[in-house]
Amino acid sequence: MIAGQTARVSRTMHGLYYDAKHDEIVVPVALGGAILTLAGGANGGDPPLRVIQGPRTGLVQPDTLYVDVLHDEIVADSGNDSVLIFPRTGAGDIEPVRRLGGPKTHISNIYGIAVDAVHNLIVIGNRIDTGGRNSQDAILVFNRTDTGDVAPRAMISGPRTGIIKIRQIVVDEDRGQIFATIKNNFENYEFEQERPSPWNPDKTGFIGIWSIADNGDVPPRGVIKGPATGLVWPAGVAINPASHEVYAIDSVSNALFMFRVPELFRRMETR
Amino acid sequence: MLDFDGRVCILSAMPRRVLLALAGSVLFGALGWRPAPTAGPDARRSPLRSLVADQRLYALERDNGCLDEPVGAAPQAWPDWAAAHITGGDVAPSRVVSDPYPTLHSVAVDAEHDRVVMTDPNRHAIWTYERTAASKGKDAVTALAGVRGPSTGMMFIAAVALDPQAREIYTVDNDIGDRMMVFPYDADGNVKPTRVLSVPHQAWGVSINPARKEIAISVEGPREIAVYAQNASGTDRPLRMIRGPRTGLGDPHGVVFDGVNNEIVVANHGNQNGRQTAPGTVTGGRRGGGDGAETPIVGGRFEEPSITVYPGEATGDVAPARRIQGARTGLNWPMAISIDAAHNEVAVANSGDSSVRVFRRTADGDAAPLRVIKGPRTGIHGPMGVTIDANNDELWVANYGEHTALVFARAAAGDVAPKRILRNAPEGSPTVGFGNPGAVAYDSKRDEILVPN
Repeated sequence: MIAGQTARVSRTMHGLYYDAKHDEIVVPVALGGAILTLAGGANGGDPPLRVIQGPRTGLVQPDTLYVDVLHDEIVADSGNDSVLIFPRTGAGDIEPVRRLGGPKTHISNIYGIAVDAVHNLIVIGNRIDTGGRNSQDAILVFNRTDTGDVAPRAMISGPRTGIIKIRQIVVDEDRGQIFATIKNNFENYEFEQERPSPWNPDKTGFIGIWSIADNGDVPPRGVIKGPATGLVWPAGVAINPASHEVYAIDSVSNALFMFRVPELFRRMETR
Repeated sequence: MLDFDGRVCILSAMPRRVLLALAGSVLFGALGWRPAPTAGPDARRSPLRSLVADQRLYALERDNGCLDEPVGAAPQAWPDWAAAHITGGDVAPSRVVSDPYPTLHSVAVDAEHDRVVMTDPNRHAIWTYERTAASKGKDAVTALAGVRGPSTGMMFIAAVALDPQAREIYTVDNDIGDRMMVFPYDADGNVKPTRVLSVPHQAWGVSINPARKEIAISVEGPREIAVYAQNASGTDRPLRMIRGPRTGLGDPHGVVFDGVNNEIVVANHGNQNGRQTAPGTVTGGRRGGGDGAETPIVGGRFEEPSITVYPGEATGDVAPARRIQGARTGLNWPMAISIDAAHNEVAVANSGDSSVRVFRRTADGDAAPLRVIKGPRTGIHGPMGVTIDANNDELWVANYGEHTALVFARAAAGDVAPKRILRNAPEGSPTVGFGNPGAVAYDSKRDEILVPN
């Protein structure tokens, strides 16, 4: 367990990446406006190996991130409606090497980031708070080296997708498939507006799988969804292709679920 | 354990089940964990089945007649995927990591009525025990009452405060609910709160000042203390707000509104996000705590943890009257705090080093604590709650890292055993420690699963 003041972790860490090549854990700290890189075997109050933090970084409340090990980059949410790309070994108050954001990008409220280095793509789990179930949340797909205010090459969004309040995403690069966490609820920010209740299982969340080639209002190609799954409001997903396992963390039931689903690790049929 | 009038409501069987497991910030590695065999009469029941069954929260409550009003089966709001070829489906998990027992967060004692109340963010509940309750051997103690269920509206509740005169329990949601809820002492089961107040997102601490008839609530991300009338409800706005760069507030947690000395005392983790704190003018119509306007980007900072003190009537961007901060303090993830006005002391649950630190109430600057309770004999493990019962000369600690609350002599110091231990699970039951977890990753080198809270 990594915990305590010297470790610099805080609450509201909605992303996490384990870098197997360099044996490092990379995590955003929203409440400290920082990105921490910890040793893979860190424990207790072990301090981070590197910290990216400061006014030049553009980091405000980074919610999530991903490490592109192939290109040695950290791809992070700024907490300010943009994606920031830093050198993987960067530290201190450094400027990002690229920034992706602006009205053409549709990037609003980032809750998931993944990189498909095989197909040279950045995938964003993007939220637009509508205050209801009329969701405009989307999976946005960009070219990996896109920068500035550019349109995504694909946007998976719409009522047939079932994407309402998207959270952490991960990409199975070998099969070109996106695993996305869908909470299936929504936010209201004014006190006068009621919020959905997690006690209502009629609106439970799921894990949805799309192809990296999908675009538009298309159903998922695979799901983990339903009462047997135990998922209420899932908030995170990870995969272990070697064991055909999907790991889902649930924010309401405080539980980590492991699903063994070989069928989700086969290349799914093309549409 | 809990008996909701003989009905099988969600929690009625819970203490007999294997529980799976913060309201904080911890990174866990969960390697190859499999549910342990259950002890007790339900040993034959699969923990996994119990857990999965627990997820059907609303349906169970409806089926068992626990809801206040009949609710028809609402249609699942899913798109028409019938024509689509979709792989997977309603798949049962092969393994689950969770804590079936309550996880203790904060603790409050009413010496007059001989009861102790603790919050449980794991199972979204409030538990009341006799003040003198203690575990015999390895057994858990049966609670006098447990408040939990859809009607309560409670989710990731954090601190708890008591009003002995009105015989009321106050708690705040740290996430999902964003509400302060008030229950009568005799509440038990799936009951509605008698009063609800909308509070900013990430509220953590709550404290009542009986002299001023006001409540102080600490809020982590916006770095603010919101002060409300004690009888505030609905969408009532705060009377005033302590907020701004001069306040020294940084990821505040525990708060005490000291009615004797008319001061607000706050425990801060010191985290400062990349935006300058919003101005200290009173707002509060939004869950974010501010008016939604964006403040300048100044870059994130990790400041030293601290205990800051403000006059009871402080408002806006005010500097603290005193600030305990520095290497000699030993502060490390300070959580709940408690004031002993009779002995002029302040105790803090120092979660980061599993200790309780007691300072002179009027200490200022880089002050060493008067006493530290710490060490293997104490049983203190990741404490979240602390409260001083001056009437009975005792100090209570709620462990988040163990299924225990500990009672020490008020003036205890060093590596000492507690006077009493109150277990809410059989001794040795592991705590998982999840509290509203939001991400997961797989460590392929160690075959471990990482979960940040």
